[in-house]
Amino acid sequence: MQGFSDGITGADLAQLQSTMHTIEVACTSIQMQINPTAAEATILSLSQSPQRYKACQFILENSQMANARFQAAAAIQDAAIREWGFLSTEDRISLISFCLCFVMQRASSPEGYVQAKVSSVAAQLMKRGWLDFTAAEKEMFFYQVNQALLGAHGVDVQFIGVNFLESLVSEFSPSTSSAMGLPREFHEQCRTSLELNYLKTFYRWARDAALSVTNKIIESDAAIPEVKVCTAALRLMLQILNWEFRHDTNSMKAGINVFSAGVRRPECVLVQPGPAWCDVLISSGHVGWLLSLYAALRQKFCHEGYWLDCPIAVSARKLIVQFCSLTGTIFPSDNGKMLENHLLQLLSGILQWIEPPDAVSKAIEEGKSESEMHDGCRALLSIATVTTPFVFDQLLKAIRPFGTLTLLSTLMCEVVKVLMTNNTDEETWSWEARDILLDTWTILLVPLDGNGGDAFLPREGKQAAANLFAMIIESELKVASASVANDDGDSDYLQASISAMDGRLISYALIARGAIDVTIPLLTRLFSERFERLHQGRGIIDPTETLEELYSLLLITGHVLADEGDGETPLVPSAIQTHFVDIIEADKHPVVVLSGSIIRFAEQSMDPEVRATVFSPRLMEAVIWFLARWSHTYLMPFEEAANCHLSHDYEHQHQSIHSRKSLLSFFGEHNQGKIVLNIIVHISMMTLMSYPGEKDLQDSWHDLANAFTNEKSLFLLSSANQRSLAQTLVLSASGLRNSEASNQYVQGLMVHMTTYLVELSNKKDLKSVAQQPDIIMSVSCLLERLRGAASAAGPRTQRAIYEIGISIMNPVLLLLEVYKHESAVIYLLLKFIVEWVDGQISYLEAQETASVIDFCMRLLQLYSSHNIGKISISLSSTLISEAKTEKYKDLRALLQLLSSLCSKDLVDFSSDSDEVAGTNIAQVVFFGLHIVTPLISLELLKYPKLCHDYFFLLSHILEVYPETLPQLNSEAFAHILGTLDFGLHHQDLEVVNMCLGALKALASYHYRETCAGKTGLGSHAAGQGNLPEGIFSQFLRSLLQLLLFEDYSPDLVSAAADALLPLILCEQELYQRLGNELIERQANSTLKSRLANALHSLTSSNHLSSTLDRVNYQRFRKNLNSFLMEVRGFLRTM
Amino acid sequence: MSDEEHHFESSDAGASKTYPQQAGTIRKNGYIVIKNRPCKVVEVSTSKTGKHGHAKCHFVGIDIFTAKKLEDIVPSSHNCDVPHVNRTDYQLIDISEDGFLSLLTESGDTKDDLRLPTDENLVKQIKDGFAEGKDLVVSVMSAMGEEQICALKDIGPK
Repeated sequence: MQGFSDGITGADLAQLQSTMHTIEVACTSIQMQINPTAAEATILSLSQSPQRYKACQFILENSQMANARFQAAAAIQDAAIREWGFLSTEDRISLISFCLCFVMQRASSPEGYVQAKVSSVAAQLMKRGWLDFTAAEKEMFFYQVNQALLGAHGVDVQFIGVNFLESLVSEFSPSTSSAMGLPREFHEQCRTSLELNYLKTFYRWARDAALSVTNKIIESDAAIPEVKVCTAALRLMLQILNWEFRHDTNSMKAGINVFSAGVRRPECVLVQPGPAWCDVLISSGHVGWLLSLYAALRQKFCHEGYWLDCPIAVSARKLIVQFCSLTGTIFPSDNGKMLENHLLQLLSGILQWIEPPDAVSKAIEEGKSESEMHDGCRALLSIATVTTPFVFDQLLKAIRPFGTLTLLSTLMCEVVKVLMTNNTDEETWSWEARDILLDTWTILLVPLDGNGGDAFLPREGKQAAANLFAMIIESELKVASASVANDDGDSDYLQASISAMDGRLISYALIARGAIDVTIPLLTRLFSERFERLHQGRGIIDPTETLEELYSLLLITGHVLADEGDGETPLVPSAIQTHFVDIIEADKHPVVVLSGSIIRFAEQSMDPEVRATVFSPRLMEAVIWFLARWSHTYLMPFEEAANCHLSHDYEHQHQSIHSRKSLLSFFGEHNQGKIVLNIIVHISMMTLMSYPGEKDLQDSWHDLANAFTNEKSLFLLSSANQRSLAQTLVLSASGLRNSEASNQYVQGLMVHMTTYLVELSNKKDLKSVAQQPDIIMSVSCLLERLRGAASAAGPRTQRAIYEIGISIMNPVLLLLEVYKHESAVIYLLLKFIVEWVDGQISYLEAQETASVIDFCMRLLQLYSSHNIGKISISLSSTLISEAKTEKYKDLRALLQLLSSLCSKDLVDFSSDSDEVAGTNIAQVVFFGLHIVTPLISLELLKYPKLCHDYFFLLSHILEVYPETLPQLNSEAFAHILGTLDFGLHHQDLEVVNMCLGALKALASYHYRETCAGKTGLGSHAAGQGNLPEGIFSQFLRSLLQLLLFEDYSPDLVSAAADALLPLILCEQELYQRLGNELIERQANSTLKSRLANALHSLTSSNHLSSTLDRVNYQRFRKNLNSFLMEVRGFLRTM
Repeated sequence: MSDEEHHFESSDAGASKTYPQQAGTIRKNGYIVIKNRPCKVVEVSTSKTGKHGHAKCHFVGIDIFTAKKLEDIVPSSHNCDVPHVNRTDYQLIDISEDGFLSLLTESGDTKDDLRLPTDENLVKQIKDGFAEGKDLVVSVMSAMGEEQICALKDIGPK
């Protein structure tokens, strides 16, 4: 190692100067865009030159060119991180202190980016050595930093000090740290150590630095240099409060504490530093200082150098908002008193930013910056995350005659008003403010974890919510009717518009439920006004605006009345269950009235004349969507669920039972349900028949039909021809009483389709008939339906679906033959078989399995005989690439077929599962692989999904049935290994992982077998013919090459270790040879011995033995990890 | 669409060259007649006229013989023409000097009226394969009175 702290001799000096010159020239030429690649190479070579540290330091100290200095700093970083392992402790320390001194001494340098780079180099090196340095060594550095922060050496040095700490904290924070090629444990340890021992100290230093300049800033009217220090200090404090505190041990115990509400909405930032921080953050009057600093700054906004968005103001505001998120055990358990005081103090400071709302919004419209108002909204959001609605509302009452909820409502009404008046697509300030405030409402109103009940608002808060909801509806309606004019086409599809609005609609629904007794009647009134208007204006006035308004209302009402089920039956929202307690008569229940009016409106679509004039496809989409969502919740509510909820809250129990019951049972008991159901089903049928081209509609219908899976919807049989329909219809069989009935039902449902296919395939002139477009279409439809039905197979209907499949096995093969050129049909056919086998395989008895497998083999053979060696010829490149894509999709389906056959070995429900004479799945799958692999070219493996499926299957097969591999013929074997090698160098992590898994399985199988005196992979392993080396030798080489010299994700190391160990054991001689070669190639003797030692300990340390058990694998993983850390640095660069 | 009417009793002996099918049911990878040419559909999109209007289908097709790209817009409830596309496999016996192929039908007859394609690349693919002495099967695609080779397949002994 060259001592870079040595004195510089004359000859050295000349050398250094020439290096500096070269680098400067390179920097210039990069800037001038002259031969940039060569220049880049020159700069990169700096970090590997023999005198790197000396040269870099020389450049840093002497070069006049900022860029060159920057590159020199980068080179130090690069070299030091790489060579850290063999730098002496003195060298390490001197590098860091050189960087620190460099920035401190040149604190006033105008090139900030060079300073920042050098200081971040110091920070990174500090972290690299963090676990090795003694406390005293660290103390030495921090003493220097602390001195700087105290301001003893002037404002510039103070700023640099803060800056360094900022780099340091960000280097230690997991999300912003540099990887440095070190394992995660290292970063974790550093982070813990910093959090426990230094973070609070840093915070105090930053605070003191800010305090030391506060008076000067407040007293001076102009911008002074101290502002820079203060800004940086505020930024550092914010950064520290953004730290993800882990070691607040107490708060973990008191997990149910309402205020450690991290469980409520995990995406909200919560600051939970723990009790140790109470003195510095809370009890020291820190917040008071911060608020008065900002208040003083506000006074200065009219002065030169200060404005609303000047850095110091922005930083101060951000820090204030961050303080609003403070929660957890930092507050003592005093019933939230201290927290409330803390929040009240903040709120009273923030009020000036947002009050009075109308004046604030007016000022912004007139050109004032919106950032202060936005920050005010964010502060409210933060406060909402750490409080309950009740506490939230109470806060303001201490200083105002109204509660915080009222303020929130007025503020948001103001924002919505602005949105309404200038409705543009651009993201305006009001847009953002609305989103923040909506989030605030959501946080407040979203049900508290677990118990499912909606949060209850105080009475005044209800009024606030009601006002706001009315305003929101007004605005949404206005937007809707205005949007008729701008027709942007695609963006207006139902699913798209629901999902775009979904977040908002959910929040709207929460607000509406907060004041449900006012909002439901409001919605009812709005609907009836519009129904009326449509009716009166029919044929006279263009209804489009009203239709659009209805569309919007339907979406909103759907969200208010019912929740998304996410696959389960959603309950009636508890706000609806617990209100309207005084209403005894069911048909006067406001929810019944509202739902009823919408359903009656929908019913009018049955009249063809009304349908033509009123029910546009778009409106119908919304109607169907609403009916689907509504019926899911209300049509057949679970009685038990209703009862269990009834016993929930004791106070109103007596009164409310009646009303809830009347709502819940209204559609169930009074025979109203049947009528409504009948209406809905008829609307659905009509929809399917009258709007056949509207795909979106049919999707909606699918949802609707799903909601009816508990009903016998036999009368829908003849309606439509879609997969989802068939699926839904078959699924609906699960509602039948017993499996016999279900099977019969499914059979009845599908029989005419199978008959059709059987008859078609029996025709003598099948070949010519089949080519007719109408036949192709009906065959395609039938296959789609069959696929849908097959995918709906459940335990109850399995029998019937099995028989359907069996009955058309021969037709399927015939169709595969006649449609061999009709790729679209072939694909449907394969997909049907895939779904069918997937649904059936685990239920089949041995005999049946055998016939299904036999069928699949015939299918595979036929398919491959049609496709091997086939070349599509077309003038059109589009058609050629289409043909490729189709082939890819087919193959993917075939791979899925093989995978599901494989699953028979894992999941088997058949009664004779322990019968030994069952079909050997392994053999079958390998046979299949034999057929399919020639079709899979390396070209096709570039399709990610296919690649994924293929390697999934391959690694599975090799892991579970390695013994069948030797039976493959050499061509197929070579092909499989070729793909494996391809996969090993794939960029997709998971693919590489699967390949490594496959390799491990192969090698360990071979090793075990040979140890037991058997042949293992026999001739394949030994190498034959033109391949002198066996496969394991090849893979050992390529894996070592990968590990030592190529780029890969560190996550792969464990999997690679698992594959490498058996490979080494299989090919010990070769491994020795390769190791020796590596060592010989190393010219530098220090490195040579390091490499030799590392290679030695790779296979000998940690008591590694030559067995393949779990413990040994784990040991080898550890060994490989430390081996790579030790040698990769220099192997890759030298 | 000006030619909404379909004339099923076309000149061919009874068999119509096309078949009417509702636009909304024509899928990607299906066939369609656009401007009286048989096309393979490579793209289907639907659009609406105005917010509450009815859907229209927009087809992009590629002429299966000339590879030209053609487009059409049809209301989803209207009918489109779908061509009958047939494919027949023949074994390739010979390629004559004047650019005609000699093909063996399933029934053992020969078919000598099919020309080589005009595109040189395609001709090369066919000629090279034939020159290598492979047993080639050619698939001939026919639609609306035209025919052309669409695929080659080596069925030589494995």
